[in-house]
Amino acid sequence: MDRNQLIKWLKAPAKMSHKYSLHAVYFCTGCGIIEVPPSITARWDAERFGVLPAASPRQSNLFLITGYVSVKTLKAIIRTYEQMPDPKFTVGFGSCPINGGMYWDSYNTIKHLDKYIPVDGWIAGCMPRPEAIFIGVTHLWTLIDKGMANGYQKYRDRYKYYRANQEQVLGTLDWPPLLPIGDGNE
Amino acid sequence: MRIVEILVSPLIALVVGILFLGISRKIMARIHWRYGPPLLQPVIDIIRLFSQRSVSHGTIFNLGIILSLAGSIVVVLFLPIGRICPFESAGGLLVILYLMLFGPLGIALSGGEAANPNTSIGISRKLLLAVGYEVPLLFILLAVMTRYDTISLIGIVQEQQNAGWSVVSLPLVLSGIAYLLILPAILGLRPFELVQAPQEIASGPMVEFGGQFLALATIQHAFVLFIGIALFVNLFLGGAGDPGTFVLKMLVVFLLSLFINAAFPRFRIEQALKYLWRWPTLFAFVGLVIVVLTGR
Amino acid sequence: MNKILRDELQSVFGAVRITTPENTRVIINAKKDTVLPLLRFLKEKGYQHLALISCVDWIEAQELEMVYILSAYLGSDHAFSDKEQTNVILKTRISRENPEFQTVIPVFQNAEPYERELHELYGIRFKNHPRLVPLFLDREYSIPPFRKDFDTRRYVKEVFDQVPFVEKEAEKV
Repeated sequence: MDRNQLIKWLKAPAKMSHKYSLHAVYFCTGCGIIEVPPSITARWDAERFGVLPAASPRQSNLFLITGYVSVKTLKAIIRTYEQMPDPKFTVGFGSCPINGGMYWDSYNTIKHLDKYIPVDGWIAGCMPRPEAIFIGVTHLWTLIDKGMANGYQKYRDRYKYYRANQEQVLGTLDWPPLLPIGDGNE
Repeated sequence: MRIVEILVSPLIALVVGILFLGISRKIMARIHWRYGPPLLQPVIDIIRLFSQRSVSHGTIFNLGIILSLAGSIVVVLFLPIGRICPFESAGGLLVILYLMLFGPLGIALSGGEAANPNTSIGISRKLLLAVGYEVPLLFILLAVMTRYDTISLIGIVQEQQNAGWSVVSLPLVLSGIAYLLILPAILGLRPFELVQAPQEIASGPMVEFGGQFLALATIQHAFVLFIGIALFVNLFLGGAGDPGTFVLKMLVVFLLSLFINAAFPRFRIEQALKYLWRWPTLFAFVGLVIVVLTGR
Repeated sequence: MNKILRDELQSVFGAVRITTPENTRVIINAKKDTVLPLLRFLKEKGYQHLALISCVDWIEAQELEMVYILSAYLGSDHAFSDKEQTNVILKTRISRENPEFQTVIPVFQNAEPYERELHELYGIRFKNHPRLVPLFLDREYSIPPFRKDFDTRRYVKEVFDQVPFVEKEAEKV
């Protein structure tokens, strides 16, 4: 650890610890999960970056959505996202959550994930290799450093619109709103 | 002087326990042919967890984890670490034996409040496992107490300073082996990792713990690591004259159980009980009979 | 498939047409009312595993084609080796306007989820099926989504593309 790093740690320990301790929920929606086992085991070893699979959403702060999102899965994704404690970061993995990918005219796949939950970063490709996950992680570090990975704050501020979008696709949701929906929470 | 010791003793336990957590992750990584996280990764994790927003599930949820942590700290106060032992006069193996139950009990209370099905599976496994290893543990402690004719840990350590380590003294060797066999169950390491079992029941009692609750649970786990190994070092490896040697002895024992951890898969609960009530209990019982027959 | 079985099939069920595009694949085209006896016959002959029930929408002919794929389990004696490598594919056509068919659950128990799936994706009603409720889908569609006349592109435009981007919506206010 050099001197700059030490000064950063003393100035903002919370921010630095979020950078170097990303416990991830790997949400296996599609083929993207194939790339995760090599990246957390001996070949690429994500643990040296502090990235570790978490056992439950309560213990995690990184949400990795790997693959296409069908309407039924979207429900589970929203519930998982709302269970994670703040601050939390979301990364969409592969082209399917970005714009639908090869499912862009499917009858049951939502096309843009960021219409329903805020997404901090994307890893493009079909499929991205495990190296791309690590490039994504280092990009996320820069975003956290600059304070730009603020999806969870966006979700609080614009919860009214997110909830409206979720209801538009899923119909009536069978769980209560996370936050009170007022008129002017902007 | 005693007040300083009361402050220093848990601090040593905390630092050593967390260092052990870091070492275990690094060494497990090296056994897997990985590079592994930095040594201080548990510290980073704990800072991260304290800075996260934490979701509480009620008053008992908050109190249970504090009870568990407090119970572990009190146990540490009764353990001699080198020459440091705050409560030496009041000491006694029986107090430690009773207080060791507070750790799992607090976690069970706290997890039960969260009402997650995984939690109840984890808690029932934890309590069953405790029943499993307490039987041989009682035999072992009885053997040691009978052999040295005292219930004070300090007394046991001093006897060993004069007469040599009890694990190499003939009447107690079987008890020492039995303790080594149940050590992974006490520490919650791999053949007996069934309480947490992250791949199976999503870390069991801790499944609803987030933020600072998980941080406190991690610290409690560090204390459990310290207590289980320190008890072995005090009972069988002759304690130590200074804290440095003591920690070194603990490290050796910990590495031994880490290698076992790396090599074995996980037992199911009935396999674990079958094992615990067969070999360790048999060794401990025979050891107790030998001690009673040979006398002092 | 050996010749004996083929002759037997043709003698018992006169109207079937049997083709073998590959060594390991036999296609039997049959009328829809002979499907149940045919399946029962093939099951007795050793093809005891119903691997899949599929469906093809022939929109020009206004027909739906049901496809049953059967195979045999590994036998201990070598006399069966020919049969083990062969997939038997049984095809039949039903009307597209009134897609109704009998269930094959009396012959093959495991047909239940396959038939539920076909009911939900192609709208085929299976008579006497114990519970014909949706299997995968959460939404309701006016036309079953796997039929050829279901316009996925228009559907996506009408449903998923109507959901606004949150940033744009927030800027409007």
